[in-house]
Amino acid sequence: MMKLRIFLCCFGLIAIALSFAKTNAKADPISIEHERGILTLPAPAKRVATISWAFTETVITLGLDPVAIADAKDYVDWVSKPDLPSDFIDLGQRSSPNLEALRAAKPDLIITIPDIGMAYGKLVEIAPVLELKLFDEKRPAFETARETLAKVAKATGREAQAETYLKHVDQKLVEYGERIHAVIGPDQKVNVVYFFDESNVGIYGKTSMPGSVLTAMNVPLAYRGEVNKWGFARGEFDIIAPFAKETLVYTNPVPEVVLKKIWNSPMWNVMDFVRNKRVYELPVVWAYGGVPSALRFAELLTESLENGPHQ
Amino acid sequence: MIKTSHRTPTLLLAALGVLSIGVLVIDFWPFLQNGLAGQVMFTPDETDFDQILFHYSTLPRLAMAFLCGAGLALAGAAIQTVLRNPLASPTTLGVGAGVEFALTIFVLVAPASLALFQEAFALAGGMIALGAVYLIAAKRGNATLWLILAGMIINLLLQSGTQILLLFNEQYLQSIFMWGAGDLAQNGWEATQFVLPRIVIGMAAVLLLSRPLDLLALGDDTASSLGAKVTVLRLLILGFAVFITASVISAAGMIGFIGLAVPAALRIAGLTRSRDLMIYSVLTGGFTLLVIDFIVRQFNGLGGDILPTGAATALFGAPFIILILRKAKIMPGSQSEDQHSDQEITSKTGLSILLTALLAIGLVFSLFVSLDGTGFAVLGWTVNWNDNSFDIITGRAERTFAAMICGAALAVSGTLIQRVGRNPLASPEITGVSSATALAIILALTMFGFAQRADLMIIGAAGGIISLIVLLALCRKFTHAPHYMLLNGLALTAILGAIVRIVLTRSGTQTSMLMSWLAGTTYFTNMDEVMIVAGVTTVLLIVAIALRRPLEMASLGTDQSVSLGLGITTFQFAMMFLAAILAAAATLLVGPLSFVGLMAPHLARVAGYRLAGGHLLGSVLIGVNVMMVAEWLARNLLYPAQLPTGLIAALIGTSYFLLLAVRKR
Repeated sequence: MMKLRIFLCCFGLIAIALSFAKTNAKADPISIEHERGILTLPAPAKRVATISWAFTETVITLGLDPVAIADAKDYVDWVSKPDLPSDFIDLGQRSSPNLEALRAAKPDLIITIPDIGMAYGKLVEIAPVLELKLFDEKRPAFETARETLAKVAKATGREAQAETYLKHVDQKLVEYGERIHAVIGPDQKVNVVYFFDESNVGIYGKTSMPGSVLTAMNVPLAYRGEVNKWGFARGEFDIIAPFAKETLVYTNPVPEVVLKKIWNSPMWNVMDFVRNKRVYELPVVWAYGGVPSALRFAELLTESLENGPHQ
Repeated sequence: MIKTSHRTPTLLLAALGVLSIGVLVIDFWPFLQNGLAGQVMFTPDETDFDQILFHYSTLPRLAMAFLCGAGLALAGAAIQTVLRNPLASPTTLGVGAGVEFALTIFVLVAPASLALFQEAFALAGGMIALGAVYLIAAKRGNATLWLILAGMIINLLLQSGTQILLLFNEQYLQSIFMWGAGDLAQNGWEATQFVLPRIVIGMAAVLLLSRPLDLLALGDDTASSLGAKVTVLRLLILGFAVFITASVISAAGMIGFIGLAVPAALRIAGLTRSRDLMIYSVLTGGFTLLVIDFIVRQFNGLGGDILPTGAATALFGAPFIILILRKAKIMPGSQSEDQHSDQEITSKTGLSILLTALLAIGLVFSLFVSLDGTGFAVLGWTVNWNDNSFDIITGRAERTFAAMICGAALAVSGTLIQRVGRNPLASPEITGVSSATALAIILALTMFGFAQRADLMIIGAAGGIISLIVLLALCRKFTHAPHYMLLNGLALTAILGAIVRIVLTRSGTQTSMLMSWLAGTTYFTNMDEVMIVAGVTTVLLIVAIALRRPLEMASLGTDQSVSLGLGITTFQFAMMFLAAILAAAATLLVGPLSFVGLMAPHLARVAGYRLAGGHLLGSVLIGVNVMMVAEWLARNLLYPAQLPTGLIAALIGTSYFLLLAVRKR
């Protein structure tokens, strides 16, 4: 027992000494917890490479232009806002970002996803790597996105901007929530669905980005059932039938061919939300994005509901 | 004789019939209880969701399951009889890949106004694929063999095309994978109305042609001597079989196993006459898919997701393949037409030097030249040498060497298998070891969340070793080693295919990474791995070359070799074992890429490397060159996008075979 105490004392002293040594250094090193333990940066990153849209939009929102971006072309279609910087190096696809292009961009931080964890060893040779999960099945996606924003802000030394931005987001979400309530009424719940084809539909659960943003807006989500690893449930049309009395929002893109078949099917037309005209269309929005995508989802959802049902 | 041979199929059919009735009773039960069964079948209450659901979802699904099962089994029976190959199936002829490719293009680019033509377009895709296969194979001495080879080539070509389309259109991946995994979910009677008349017409035609089919089953010579117009009959029967298959696939997606296994099982159970086989196949296939789909439906909603019927069917069936086909004769009498000139032995020193020179030049080119979106960039010339350049060269070397080593390993593996299996179409994946390796990695990655490359390598290696042990267990009787290996590989490949299709439907943001790995990419490899695999390949190549004399004997044929007093079967097995290790090593390095293992030995033989030792060296040289070129193209063709090397290798290989086929005509 005594030995342990002495040991703890020593340990404490060393820790204090170490932290003292740290504060004496030129610039404060930054430590961020990520999928590979703790990442320590000597100084805030200035030249950031982003491997996923969620990081791209987050970094831009924080007022920093990434020097290298993966999947830039599709970003315009799927995420669209905030605008990409005028000058950056295109890394190609996020499933295999071009390492030579990445090296040429001379980044001082690469923000990547565990999906390409097999390439971690190669990325780390180029610059320090921050590997963050976009979606953690155990937690609401919006919470994960906020945490990602905080970590990215810390790595780039923009914590003040992040704080201001998050306050703005919270205010906006409350405002959008009130506007949605004004449209759908006090008793209605909302479901967000995605049509895989004319017979299969995905319905977002409470941990998904749409579900957790609805929660943050104080708009009740109708679906409370089991979800898969990606936060939604998938099945035939009988999985949305129990919520026919509620409001339904479907996301895009869905091929026109598929939509046409659904609108003509008796199984769709028997649902109460069709008869009650409570079906709304949501423009394309990225369901595995960061906080900016979450805010955009809330905004587009509000506008869609205010503009009236889809047909 | 006939009586006993029909007893087993009849019992099988009766059992499946009883099970199917059970399925119907369970599905109808809620409505049978309150006497509404008749109403829901014909005039459902349009305001009652349960009745609507039953009438527009459950009922058409039951109908579709039976129709698709019946159609595919019949098509399989017809194709197997025509090709006289128990492992042939509708998908063997590239029809599935053709329909998939056409439908993928349609979904990605067609406007809604063309919706009516979707299924016709898919049908056309299947028919064109068959046409191409038939054109390549027609008028050849060994048409049966060439049909399968051509089918394999067209399959690879179209699958590579589909994958490239998908890699650049990720947003629709999920929907296309759902269809690709064989989805019987229905929303209305549209699909049933599409499939029913086509299957009825196709069945009637095939059954009408089934008498001449019995003549075909006797072999070309007999049929010709009996006056049947063999080619026309073949074309007609295959055409109708494919018509049925394409209809089914475009409506319900890929459900491959039924067409392969049902007729094969029935034949083993004792049905030899084609007319009986057809009729039994229709009913057995229909009932089988009905029952399997019922079981699959019970898993829907588990874990918040669906289980696609087609993939699940293959999963049910793959282990079954080993059981039912143990008795079947595989690749009966397959002989390469090239073997006619096998006796000619010429020195290939000149060609070898040329290939080596190409390799050296190509290597320098690969390391120093790239396309950077604006044009050629040459390190140290158009691009100034800077402190990054060395790292860039190292990176390129890592990937180029990985591709080359993989090419060498697969070339040796393929040469050994083609030699001891005496089958010019055999390729490393038939051992199933690369599938097992890939399967272990895919499962670890998606189900258990392993993401570290080192962990995945160890898990993959473990998968490969386990499958080698299974191989040993299955091949205890050495006399049948090549056949058992083939069956084992086929089943493992089917299981991998099924699991991959299920995994891809539910892998969310990981999908595109998995796709490129499955297609074979050097993107993730590092130099340590390359060195290890290079060491293994070198050692095994030396072993194989040291054994070139017995290998030569093995290529001549078992009977001759045994009469020469050589323990050929044990030797065959040992060589297969070497080939399997090489295939697994290559899979660890770049994923389950294998077309090179088929192409390099083939090219080497065509080029004139006839003796075993030369054949090994020649195919290594060719394999390494091909992979080096594929790797450079994969990195630079669509810069900055990095394509999977395996896709490019497959495109190069299939184009070569197509050219070869067209020129030979």
